[in-house]
Amino acid sequence: MRGGMIGGSPIEDDAKLDRAAAHQVLRRLGVMLAPYRRQVLLAVVVLVGQTACLLAGPALVRAGVDQGLVGKDGAALNRIAVIYLVVAIAGLALGRLVIWLVSRTGERFLRALRERVFSHLMALSLDFYDREKTGRLVARMTSDIDALQELISQGLVMFVQNFLIFVGAVIVVSTMSWELSLGVLVIVPPVLIASRWFRRRSNAAYLEVRERIGENLSTLQEGLEGVRVVQAFGRERGWIRRFGRTNENQFEANLETVRISAKYFPIVEFTGVIGISVLVGLGGVLVDNRVVTVGTVLAFVLYLNNLFEPIQQLSQLYNTVQSSGAALNKLFVLLDTEVSIREKPGAVDLPTQGDLTVTDLAFAYGTEMPDTDGVVHPLGPEVLRGVSITVAAGERVALVGPTGAGKSTLAKLMARFYDPREGSVSYGGVDLRNATLTSLRATIVVVPQEGFLFAGTIRDNVRVGRDGATDEDVGAAIAALGLTETFAAFPDGVDTEVRERGSRLSAGEKQLVSLARAALADPTVLVLDEATSNLDPGTEHAVERALDRLTDGRTVVVVAHRLSTAARCDRIAVVDHGGVVEVGTHDELIAHHGRYASLYAAWDSTPMDRIA
Amino acid sequence: MRQSIGSQRSWVAGGVAAGVIWTAAKLTIPLLAAAAIDDGMRAGDQAKVVRLTLVMVVVGVVQAVCTGLRRYAAFRIALRTETDLRHRLFAHLQRLHFAFHDHAQTGQLMARANTDIQQVQTVVILIPLTIASLLTMSGVLVIMMTKDVVLAVLALGALPFLNVAATRFSHRIAPVNLALQEELADVSGVVEESLSGIRVVKGFGAERQQIRRLQAEADSVLDRSLAAARLRAGFMPLVDFLPTVSMVAILWYGGHQVLDGQLQVGDILAFNLYILMLIWPMRMMGMLVAQASRASAGAGRVHEILATDPAIADAADARPLAPGAGALRFEGVRFGYGGDRFVLDGLDLDIEGGEAVAIVGATGSGKSTVARLVPRFYDVDAGRVLLDGTDVRNLAVEDLRAAVGIVFEDTFLFSDTVRENIAFADPEAPMTRVERAARLAGAAEFIRALPNGYDTVIGEHGFSLSGGQRQRIAIARAVLADPRVLILDDATSSVDPTKEHEIRAALGEVMDGRTTLIIAHRPATIALADRVVLIGEGRVVATGTHEELLATSEAYRAVLAAASRGASPGVAGATPEPDAPEVRA
Repeated sequence: MRGGMIGGSPIEDDAKLDRAAAHQVLRRLGVMLAPYRRQVLLAVVVLVGQTACLLAGPALVRAGVDQGLVGKDGAALNRIAVIYLVVAIAGLALGRLVIWLVSRTGERFLRALRERVFSHLMALSLDFYDREKTGRLVARMTSDIDALQELISQGLVMFVQNFLIFVGAVIVVSTMSWELSLGVLVIVPPVLIASRWFRRRSNAAYLEVRERIGENLSTLQEGLEGVRVVQAFGRERGWIRRFGRTNENQFEANLETVRISAKYFPIVEFTGVIGISVLVGLGGVLVDNRVVTVGTVLAFVLYLNNLFEPIQQLSQLYNTVQSSGAALNKLFVLLDTEVSIREKPGAVDLPTQGDLTVTDLAFAYGTEMPDTDGVVHPLGPEVLRGVSITVAAGERVALVGPTGAGKSTLAKLMARFYDPREGSVSYGGVDLRNATLTSLRATIVVVPQEGFLFAGTIRDNVRVGRDGATDEDVGAAIAALGLTETFAAFPDGVDTEVRERGSRLSAGEKQLVSLARAALADPTVLVLDEATSNLDPGTEHAVERALDRLTDGRTVVVVAHRLSTAARCDRIAVVDHGGVVEVGTHDELIAHHGRYASLYAAWDSTPMDRIA
Repeated sequence: MRQSIGSQRSWVAGGVAAGVIWTAAKLTIPLLAAAAIDDGMRAGDQAKVVRLTLVMVVVGVVQAVCTGLRRYAAFRIALRTETDLRHRLFAHLQRLHFAFHDHAQTGQLMARANTDIQQVQTVVILIPLTIASLLTMSGVLVIMMTKDVVLAVLALGALPFLNVAATRFSHRIAPVNLALQEELADVSGVVEESLSGIRVVKGFGAERQQIRRLQAEADSVLDRSLAAARLRAGFMPLVDFLPTVSMVAILWYGGHQVLDGQLQVGDILAFNLYILMLIWPMRMMGMLVAQASRASAGAGRVHEILATDPAIADAADARPLAPGAGALRFEGVRFGYGGDRFVLDGLDLDIEGGEAVAIVGATGSGKSTVARLVPRFYDVDAGRVLLDGTDVRNLAVEDLRAAVGIVFEDTFLFSDTVRENIAFADPEAPMTRVERAARLAGAAEFIRALPNGYDTVIGEHGFSLSGGQRQRIAIARAVLADPRVLILDDATSSVDPTKEHEIRAALGEVMDGRTTLIIAHRPATIALADRVVLIGEGRVVATGTHEELLATSEAYRAVLAAASRGASPGVAGATPEPDAPEVRA
């Protein structure tokens, strides 16, 4: 088994840290470990003790042979055997303790790290999520932290211990006999070189294997997901051939790793035999000349193991340590990312009522801030310029306009998903940037286009709207939108698991959950981004009904994709080329014969009630 | 699996031979070392020491060569077995019927082909390595017994505990690790969700709720990890301890035997070396036991799939499809997707060759099912479906499916180039045919505008097509196959209404000269057909032209009304079509 695999996962060249970065990571790790200082120190002390017990073995054999056997002293032999047993038992106890200490501290550290990274992710604002791909961020929390987990559970103790054993063994043998030590050290370079060669070659080979496995799995997945198309067109044979190729590639790549280890292990085993031969041969001369004792030769043969194994082990653990360092580095970069939407010191709560006022607003996406890869996304073109509009308390305003005109951006700025570059958004006279985040999110709620569901029941999903809401609150919110019966019709009512097979919710039903969430949040201001996609006709009706009830009595800003929605609002603002070009009621704007009137005319004549 | 190993007989033989020689060589070294110490060093015979040392080097060379060979053979056999088994599984899955795939989850099947087969591979590697280990152990036992029975018992007595401990550890750590993996998956689930839904989280200020969810999951991970650590702390130090106990026994009892003149100093060294030699085999035996039980579970799951026979296969007397115009006939067809509920029951329908028929019905009426029976995606429970006068079950499946082209509702495209997707039915098709198919499907224009035209790879670098564009490529794919019967299963539903007009014009040309079944609910699409068949309650309710049915059938008007707007029965709040399993294709 050993040698068929290498310690840890293979590591890409660009994932390796240079010396300076490695120092930086170590320094920061030290800072993060500061609260665990005492546990870490204790673990190191115990580990040193355990290593000493391990290394004492051959020395005790030497004493036993020289004093007991050669010196023909049975009592001394008994004494030494008892000491040996005690040392072995101590080693066992210390060994157990050190694994437990390292695991406990390490796992707690990881637990804290998970929470810290995730909390930071939650605090980061949307501009960050615009720059970063979700998949990569998930990888920070999963594969990167898992790499550290693997280090703690598999590698860390072994890494430090092997290092200590090697250093300890070198010290012990050189104090015993420098002549024999020189003989033994002859075999260290070949093992070292072979191990380095093996690590590099097998690392490259395993990267190749990983790549081939990935390709093979994606052929497999496509072949399975598309099996109906394959069969419908009678292409089974073609796909089986195609899979045969990627499957065979995976085999070849795997076989290459076997070839590498089939070269490495003979060298290691042969060097081991050479070590014994050298010790016995050289030992013969030295014993004859009374330079060393027979016991010393025996001890040396046994110490060979303690020189050999660590070199191999360290070489194999090298990748685990490397990838952990790289993972930590990525996590530090993430933790260093600044949160742009923050609560100012001395922030005040938003008033309970008021107008939402946008004054002279200008905005562009992008920042000078680099993303977690260090890539700077330059400031985009201005999306909004000189926008001013006031939404009175209780008023319903629709934002309409062609795709890319900036209407969704304007809506997001109204809820402080972003901060404006120039100008301001204020509610009841308080600039949103001066408001506490809690009162801001409670007062102004954004319902996104598509209903996004979290794993859990319908009830859990509605509860996202307000932290700590009781079941009654959730029920009341659902009832307020007239959805009680709709949700009761699900297999387990509101306790239906939304991700479970068979109870998957349709797009429209997801939106209903999303609206119930908003009802539970019960905000004063509601910012709605209307869905562009078509719903099945029945649900669409239900969504419209719930929406009417939800918006009743609230200040509403709706990004309308359908002009029928816009026509039902109190006022309509037409957004185009980054500015509000017209504002008024439906009738006023139609009478005005401007942009809205022409949009409406075009929309009215298309058979489907859709526009951009 | 057995076949696969059988086919590599020479590797098996070579591996076994190398393993035997390797074991013998390895066992000789301590004896040589002991002889060098006792007969050479302690006797003061320098020449003998040198001679024995040289012999050791020669034996070392043999050992090294054999260790390379035996490893290579063992891994090669295992990898070959894994590769062959995976290929067989994939080939089998490709041939299994739709109903099987309706019930299987892709993820599960992937796990069979990946994890389960890998478990089998691991155990195949372990077998020859274990045989070598057994040889080593018996060799050591024999040598030590011949030297001193009591010492052999004392020295080796502790080692079986290592084996027992390793076995127990493997058994106990496996479920804990599995649970840990599950908890880690939960963490990643929470993270993935919170980040994909970050706009919802931010919109409602639900950050703290999400952090609490993560904390709960992180706590579970901590608990599981510590449980695993406790097991490791119990086992790992034994790996060093038990052999040390043996060495203490050798030093003490063996030492006294030396003092009594029964043994020599060199024997002490040889015994110690033998103990070191046994540590790894002992641990591995434990691994084999645990791995074997995991592998047999995995192999069982793989076998279960291989033992499932494809339900749709050529009949013994299957006939090639005779030329014909594509006339379809459904006679008393009864069909259900399992359970005792029939989606179609007593369906009779005649469609002339070259006719275009729209099949219309309420949600769950079984209109898509009618289409799926024609290419034998499923077999009828009663009655029969005839293509040009022959029961489809009597036709060679390959011929039948070549004659029936289908555009699925939920368009599946492969991550290949646009060209390869369109030429799916016939990868050798010349470019002119591909372009013609694209043109007929109304796809030519947007394909030309793609970054690499027909060579654009679908789904690469975040490049994606709209639903309507995907559907048009799927239509082109069906068109290229030039089928006798073309089935459009709600094929224009995601097409932008402004483009639908173009496709309708193009489809007219495609449909010319072939039988076409159109599953639809938009009046505009229905208008493509010569005749409309209204399905309800599993049978044909009414048939006639669109205008006739509008005039005469109340049920038809109701279905169309539901489709265009308003309350279609059982939509809000109901689960999606209960009778038709989601066909993702």
